[in-house]
Amino acid sequence: MSVLDNIYEKAKANPKKVAFPEAENEKMMQAAFETGMEGYIRPILVGDSVRIKELIAERGYDESVFTIVDIADEGYKNEIIAKYVALPNTVLKEKALGRRMENPLYFAMTMQAVGEADVTFAGIDNTTGDVLLAGQMIIGLKEGISTVSSIGLCDIPGFEGSEGQLLAVGDSAVCTNPTAEQLADIAISACDTVKGLLDWEPRCAMVCYSTLGSGQGELIDKVKEALAIANEKRPDLDIDGEFQLDAAIVPAVAAKKVNRESKVAGKANVLIWPDLNVGNTAVKLIQQFGHADAYGPMLQGFNSIVCDCSRGAPVSEIKGNIVISAVRASAK
Amino acid sequence: MDRKELEAQIIDMVAKCYSVDASTLSMETTFKYDLKGASVLMVGLVSEIENELDAMIALQDAAACETIGDLVDKVQEEL
Repeated sequence: MSVLDNIYEKAKANPKKVAFPEAENEKMMQAAFETGMEGYIRPILVGDSVRIKELIAERGYDESVFTIVDIADEGYKNEIIAKYVALPNTVLKEKALGRRMENPLYFAMTMQAVGEADVTFAGIDNTTGDVLLAGQMIIGLKEGISTVSSIGLCDIPGFEGSEGQLLAVGDSAVCTNPTAEQLADIAISACDTVKGLLDWEPRCAMVCYSTLGSGQGELIDKVKEALAIANEKRPDLDIDGEFQLDAAIVPAVAAKKVNRESKVAGKANVLIWPDLNVGNTAVKLIQQFGHADAYGPMLQGFNSIVCDCSRGAPVSEIKGNIVISAVRASAK
Repeated sequence: MDRKELEAQIIDMVAKCYSVDASTLSMETTFKYDLKGASVLMVGLVSEIENELDAMIALQDAAACETIGDLVDKVQEEL
């Protein structure tokens, strides 16, 4: 069974309420309908209900698959605003929130924050920046986490790693030049993400151009400092380094270069890049030369799951990402 | 609201969001070099300005401000 088959099966066993603030978008509505119809999620379309209903009819979908929420419904809006402002540690107050909620993205995320939806799925009309800002304002960051980041899941033909062909890598998409503290938080969030989505026991390697002091310099100092912070913050997680990529994933290289006990060296299933220059380039190398499929980016670091799909994504990819998001939401 | 009053209010908000003593801040304090805050703190500051002053500042505009004085200018334009 492929990794996606496994995730689809998990979603079907416990379908989550997914809010779609870009419901009028044709591809998004189709993906919401099909994932709902197939029983993976319970789709909630958020926006102008009259227009949404017209489009459902025009496009020939069965309206009963959806729950439709009208952002002009003042009674419901006031009800969720009241619930939201009563939550601890929220940043927006009633008036500012009410104004923001004229935008369906903020409306849907507020529903998520108060438990009316399990996850919000957007990114086809909104930019990544819009989604990240709304996520930070409404959902907020997890306690103790200093940055939003992301991981991708690579399925690399011919790779024989500790999870078969699969390898999780991050951050390749969001946090450009993390400080040591942020890098530590990326590693911690990545471990939590793979645990929730894939039931892996994460073995996370902090990679750079040095293995245990074989190289020196400020670029390595940052990685070492990040490792120390991560180990102190989350001693329950197996995060180790600093390792070169081969020492992290190839047992024979680890045996040669890592002359101490390590639960991670040679068998890492999560790799953390030192910055986005490395991360973005590395993912493209994996895709181009390794002919890998890369799922994600899966955003992490938020209080609950926030998703951003690619604006050019086809319906099949959107469906995969919706289901991944729903499974991540159920693991929270 | 006059300029001095706005400056004082924004200094208080920056102090709260960046967890620093307001007496250490001035219009010349820079976000990048003096406050060295993560972008998430700027999100908190923009939200606070929206809550308290009813001024919606785009995050990218706030992030482009070098000093607290620049941010006060932006807020003043919005009011």
